[in-house]
Amino acid sequence: MELGTRKLFNRSFSLVSIAAIVLMALSLVVLLGPIFVKGSSAFVFRGTVEYRMLMLNRFGRGNQAVVEAEKASAEAARKPVLDLIRGFEGEMEQRGPEFRAKYESDFRELKGLVLELFGPSPGEPTPVLLRQQYGQTRWDRSKLKLEGILFVEEYDYSDPTRMGVKVLKPRVERFRGTSMEPLFGDLERGIEEMMRPRLTWYWRFPFDDSYDSHFFGGIWPEMLGTIYLAIGSMLFAVPLGIVTAIYLAEYSGEGHFVSLLRTCISALAGVPSIVFGLFGLAFFINTMKVSQSKSVLAGALTLAILVLPTVIRASEEAIKAVPLTYKEASMSLGASKWRTILTVILPAALPGVLTSIIISMGRAAGETAPIIFTAAVSVGKPLAIWQTLTQPTPALPWNIYNLATEHQAVDEIRHVQYGMVLTLVVLVLLLNLTAIIIRARISKKLRA
Amino acid sequence: MQDQLVISKGARRFKRLGALFGSTLLVALASSSVIALLFIFYFIMRDALPFFRLEGVREFLTSTHWYPSRDPAEFGALSIFVGSALVTLGASIVAVPLGILAALCLSDILPFAVRQVAKPIIEMLAAIPSVVYGFFALVVLAPLIQARGGTLLAAGAWMVLAPLFLVSTTVASDIVSSRFPQRLRTPVRIATLAVLGGLGIGALLALTGVLNRLVVSSGTNALNVSVVLGIMALPTIVSVSEDALNSVGRELREGSYALGATRAETLLKVVVPAARSGILAAVILGVMRAIGETMVVWMASGNAARIPSPWFNLLQPVRTLTATIAGDMGEADQVTGSARYHVLFAMALCLLAFAFIMNLVSEYVVRRSRKMRG
Repeated sequence: MELGTRKLFNRSFSLVSIAAIVLMALSLVVLLGPIFVKGSSAFVFRGTVEYRMLMLNRFGRGNQAVVEAEKASAEAARKPVLDLIRGFEGEMEQRGPEFRAKYESDFRELKGLVLELFGPSPGEPTPVLLRQQYGQTRWDRSKLKLEGILFVEEYDYSDPTRMGVKVLKPRVERFRGTSMEPLFGDLERGIEEMMRPRLTWYWRFPFDDSYDSHFFGGIWPEMLGTIYLAIGSMLFAVPLGIVTAIYLAEYSGEGHFVSLLRTCISALAGVPSIVFGLFGLAFFINTMKVSQSKSVLAGALTLAILVLPTVIRASEEAIKAVPLTYKEASMSLGASKWRTILTVILPAALPGVLTSIIISMGRAAGETAPIIFTAAVSVGKPLAIWQTLTQPTPALPWNIYNLATEHQAVDEIRHVQYGMVLTLVVLVLLLNLTAIIIRARISKKLRA
Repeated sequence: MQDQLVISKGARRFKRLGALFGSTLLVALASSSVIALLFIFYFIMRDALPFFRLEGVREFLTSTHWYPSRDPAEFGALSIFVGSALVTLGASIVAVPLGILAALCLSDILPFAVRQVAKPIIEMLAAIPSVVYGFFALVVLAPLIQARGGTLLAAGAWMVLAPLFLVSTTVASDIVSSRFPQRLRTPVRIATLAVLGGLGIGALLALTGVLNRLVVSSGTNALNVSVVLGIMALPTIVSVSEDALNSVGRELREGSYALGATRAETLLKVVVPAARSGILAAVILGVMRAIGETMVVWMASGNAARIPSPWFNLLQPVRTLTATIAGDMGEADQVTGSARYHVLFAMALCLLAFAFIMNLVSEYVVRRSRKMRG
């Protein structure tokens, strides 16, 4: 090959491999971007007067007089619309069955939609479900609902060669020439006065109890469950892991047992996480009966086995990184081996061991598959500490799955899903960041 | 002198007994991971074997009829095995070239300061929980693929094929022209460039046309899952193969440079062959991460237990072993002891055995290479 071509090949190879790294960084941005942008809408959003009513009634937050006055003025703004609806009901009574047959189903649909937007108006009976007791609490949802009122989605199948095309038709066409006609204009013009959106900073989202399967409130039960599981698994994994690491780093030579041990540790690290879940179910719950059915304890034990290899490997590295001179100095002072390990080597390796614990904790907090059969439930209250021995808990990873796939109104609570994902990501990344910082400080210390 | 140090014979014996007891305890605790692994094998097998006794192995491995809740139930898991394999294959197509290139870039091409920035990116990709990837695949990626799948594929094809093609055309024209006498070289070179370039651009445009006309019926399909699993497997592949590349000594690289090789030539002809066992181990570990992953495939693979037609059509939904275990256990749980319950353990056993064997293989490969290097 000519030199020019070789140079070109060399340069393009470098470019392609740099592109690989850039692509990786880009995929991280593409992954985290929507999560951070949309996840923040669970924390910062425009809340309506219904949101403030909810906060007042359920959590006792906000000034009662102010909120009630606001609600009253919103009700006043809504009154013409509700009056029109009531009036049309009377009109249908009067104008006979033909008129009724023409408009009834359309009118019912519209009335239901308005009820969803505003919630029950004063004087009407309170619905049983909490989600029906309030109107839309968020301005973005209110605007979507308003659009649903103003326009009807229809599919146009006139072209048989293509799929149906979505067409938005103004709903007002259906009520042309009736007393309902002005309702749509009124709604469109007056929606701000009717809902009174205001920028809301809901920092309590991770710490608030949830109401009516996540229609309202925060995600505290999930947060608490995740914290219990992460800490609980560490309680079992850390002592075992550190002892194994000490054994591997300080006591063992290169015998058959050690190579068996290392093979087993790496094999354990390679076991698919779902298999851990089945093992937890078959062993901890069905055989050992640590609890009647799923419980935090069983989940923590399962997670502990899952993170054991990570703890062992990282701790072993931390212990091996302690300079040999420390050990020699201690031994030469007459300390026994055990004493040297406990009082000299372990304290010196502590930051490294801590890093391993923190990283494994992040891993345990984010794992879903092992807790599906051993610890997680979809709906639950925050547990007290003694209940963790016997009761299952909601947990962030499991409930992200559950809310995104199995919830009855997946689209209505997107902001909760995103908020939950954001909380989990921030939790895990913060743990990792701490680990990275500790590691950087150690390497600085070793270099100095 | 010695008598002063040793207090009494009894104390010494006590001390020795204590040390013995301590080291026994230490060994016992240290072997907990061995015990854990044994227990996992035993308990998965204990619940898997009744399935083979009840239903036999043949239907499980050869039939594609997966109707566990029908009466009589059918447990043909072939399509599920194929689904797992397909998704893993797709993930490795994404992750292996990218991962090895990124590792090369990290070990040899990037300057130290940039490397320090790039490393945390890999760590973050590895730290993000799998359910977050699954959520992304389901909520962000799936609608996108459904709406603009063809365009996305075409853009991807251009991104991968265009640079590849440019380089190979240049090299090919160089090789062709070098066979001609000196004065003919430049015209021959331009001619080959024009012909090959025209052909290539034509082929790419044709491919784009085909891809643009593709209709994706569902965004939750094997392609979606493959891409996301590929990204998840990347950190493993990059970090393990980077270790392997770094462990190839400076001497080999310097020798190659001294002979006049460019960096690309050094990397491709000297460093990568020297590190190939480590890279192989990295690929195996990455593939294992993809095959054992549950949440992404459960959420975004479509969970349809049939073999796509033709088999390589990644735009159709598939169902994998892990997703079947996770999804069916909820229903099978109530009837512990039925074939429906045990079949999931049989699947877990297959996964476990596969992971175990692959792990042993990768360990063997690494160990052999270490021995070879001395």
